[in-house]
Amino acid sequence: MAEIKTFKGGIHPSYNKELSSGKSIKDAPVPWEVIIPLQQHIGAPCEPLVKAGDRVEAGQRIGEAEAFVSAPIHSSVSGTVKEVAEVTNFTGARVNSVIITADEGQPDFAKKTGKDLESLTDKEIREIAKQAGLVGMGGAAFPTHVKITPPKDKPVDTVIINGVECEPFLTCDHRLMLERTDDLIAGAKLLKKAVSASRVIIGIEANKMDAIDALRSKLSSEPDMSVEVMEVKYPEGAEKMLIFALTGRKVPPGKLPSEVGCLVQNVGTAIALFEAAAWGKPLYERIVTVTGPGVREPSNLAVRIGTPISALVDACGGFVGNPVKLIIGGPMTGWAQADASASVVKGTSGIVVMTSDTVDIGEEMECVRCGKCIDACPMFLSPNFIVQAAKRGQWDKAEMWGALDCFECGCCSFECPAYIPHVEYVRKAKAEIAALKKK
Amino acid sequence: MALNNLVVTPPPHLRSKEQTAVAMRDVLIALAPVSIAALVAFTYNALFNMAICVASCVFFEWAAKKIKEQKSSITDGSAVVTGLLLALLFPAKIQWFNMIIASFVAIVIVKELMGGIGRNFFNPALFGFAFVLIASGWLASWTGSMGFLSGGFDGVQGATPLVWIKAGLESQGPSYLSLLFANYGGAISEVGAFWILLGGAYLIYRKVISWVIPVTILATVFVLAYIVGSDGLYNILAGGVMLGAFFMATDWVSSPMTVSGQIIFGLIIGVCVVLIRVYGAPAGAVAYSILIGNCFVPLLDKVLKTRRFGEVAAA
Repeated sequence: MAEIKTFKGGIHPSYNKELSSGKSIKDAPVPWEVIIPLQQHIGAPCEPLVKAGDRVEAGQRIGEAEAFVSAPIHSSVSGTVKEVAEVTNFTGARVNSVIITADEGQPDFAKKTGKDLESLTDKEIREIAKQAGLVGMGGAAFPTHVKITPPKDKPVDTVIINGVECEPFLTCDHRLMLERTDDLIAGAKLLKKAVSASRVIIGIEANKMDAIDALRSKLSSEPDMSVEVMEVKYPEGAEKMLIFALTGRKVPPGKLPSEVGCLVQNVGTAIALFEAAAWGKPLYERIVTVTGPGVREPSNLAVRIGTPISALVDACGGFVGNPVKLIIGGPMTGWAQADASASVVKGTSGIVVMTSDTVDIGEEMECVRCGKCIDACPMFLSPNFIVQAAKRGQWDKAEMWGALDCFECGCCSFECPAYIPHVEYVRKAKAEIAALKKK
Repeated sequence: MALNNLVVTPPPHLRSKEQTAVAMRDVLIALAPVSIAALVAFTYNALFNMAICVASCVFFEWAAKKIKEQKSSITDGSAVVTGLLLALLFPAKIQWFNMIIASFVAIVIVKELMGGIGRNFFNPALFGFAFVLIASGWLASWTGSMGFLSGGFDGVQGATPLVWIKAGLESQGPSYLSLLFANYGGAISEVGAFWILLGGAYLIYRKVISWVIPVTILATVFVLAYIVGSDGLYNILAGGVMLGAFFMATDWVSSPMTVSGQIIFGLIIGVCVVLIRVYGAPAGAVAYSILIGNCFVPLLDKVLKTRRFGEVAAA
């Protein structure tokens, strides 16, 4: 067997995946009301195509934008539009959203059948991805059709399917790889064709050997597709770390994976592409891991976009203990919530509830220059010096120490003995540097 | 269920068990073997050193914070660590006044006037010790009548193992074995290199310190001592090298943060130790060497910053 692939730096948090890794995906109840933000992706927000009182069907397009970097939005339920209004989303931003009252009974999605996936051209696949509103489902939510349109002068030879799932607690990709193995392979083939790549590598952390075995047994007759075992380390699934670990190629600072001939797509995105191509199903549903010590029955749920997180926690038996952190996303990069009202979007991979005895919230202290943040940084930056520059408002120095190269994995703050929230300072520095460059 | 206790903070929401106070507690645990050995060797004299230094360091930090109208930082444990390290640097039967002055210099001048923990360029304990060592001449004359215990302050009083290095007669000094486990002479921490090694190993195991700085210092001293015609093994076992390498030069605040910086830092210290011991005055050689090394830290951190992921080497 080949060696275990990895990168330099990173951290080893407690993974806690056993809470939900053995739980099969089940359908979450359809809520009586969904709140669907018209911007769930990186890029231009969508304009609503419906108004209060309109009748909509599940899968019907309700928002779109002219811009290339954007993704249309579809209704996740059959029902009636209650209103189109600004609603606070999971990041705390006010986003124009379509609020839909769902019908009592929701019919199953009518799958189209008999589609010949082999005959699709690269152009058709990109169009399917665009029409279905596909975005990266690992969390960043970058529009898929843009990502699979690499620049002409940068040919892509390798498609990497990201099955690492290095965020602690989350298991939705793990379950998808186990339960939707064939669909994942079909989706991966579509991605390979879309960018005319010569090979597909599926990277999976060594704590999911069942998924690795399942995929390998199905891929024995596919010479262009392989599964690689990766070290259990955070952030193994970060795009640049993953590409380096699997191919030895380093994406230069400020560049995209296409610079080194790679395309990285998350497991969930590949399956969504398959569903869009084979069944004609747009992206209005996704798998969400609802877990953590503050949830009674941790689960992996198939969730309609727009479902309030309170409804999902209820579907998992409700809260237990003293919940002090309600996180949308994973615990390393996710967003802490002030209440349970925000709704699930295309990039929501998990809901993690931490209790008072499982979370360590400390007051920020002075940096003691221990250097642990530098050792942990997978981008080889000096987080402490970025923080120091940001505190003094020296934005040019913050840039010199690498603020713009930071992808906010949080390894530095995880290791910091002084409870310094480096990521917060980096975000501030990035915004200030961007503002200075505009001038 | 009510969600009244939800806390909103930026990510990440998980963290390691690392805390400054935990690290300081680990340093105290690591200092236990050598402290106990010192107590066995010097009994109440060692206890006296420890009590005076720890009490004055904690008091001065409390007072400095009070005057600066800042939040007390006693609970981070760093003042206790500085006090204990300082106590271990002094010989037994030193006048109590010297230790209070050293504590004052360490905490008030080197640490708090520089801005408190994290801002001090120099290792506070070593600076306080070196100050008293240099100034002891006038201090002794000035405080002569106030001596609590007999004896003045003199780092080389009696036959410390270091005099044999200076004289080039290491073979006449204590044996390696006695240096390792129980040779008394010099500071109260010089009661056997083994006890310090034990603590150092614990700190590396707990990941409070990395092996880079201590190993570089010890290797440099070992090799260079032979090159200049001294005894390398004797040099790393005798005197304060072991304590300096594991507990002083590894001080988070006053040491470089990148591995390449740490190697150069260790080399600078190692070279200074041997040169001062062999060609200069051996008392305080390690203290001076580490303080010299401390001076290079801001430069090392700036020049030897890590190369960003994917960054191409400058031609």
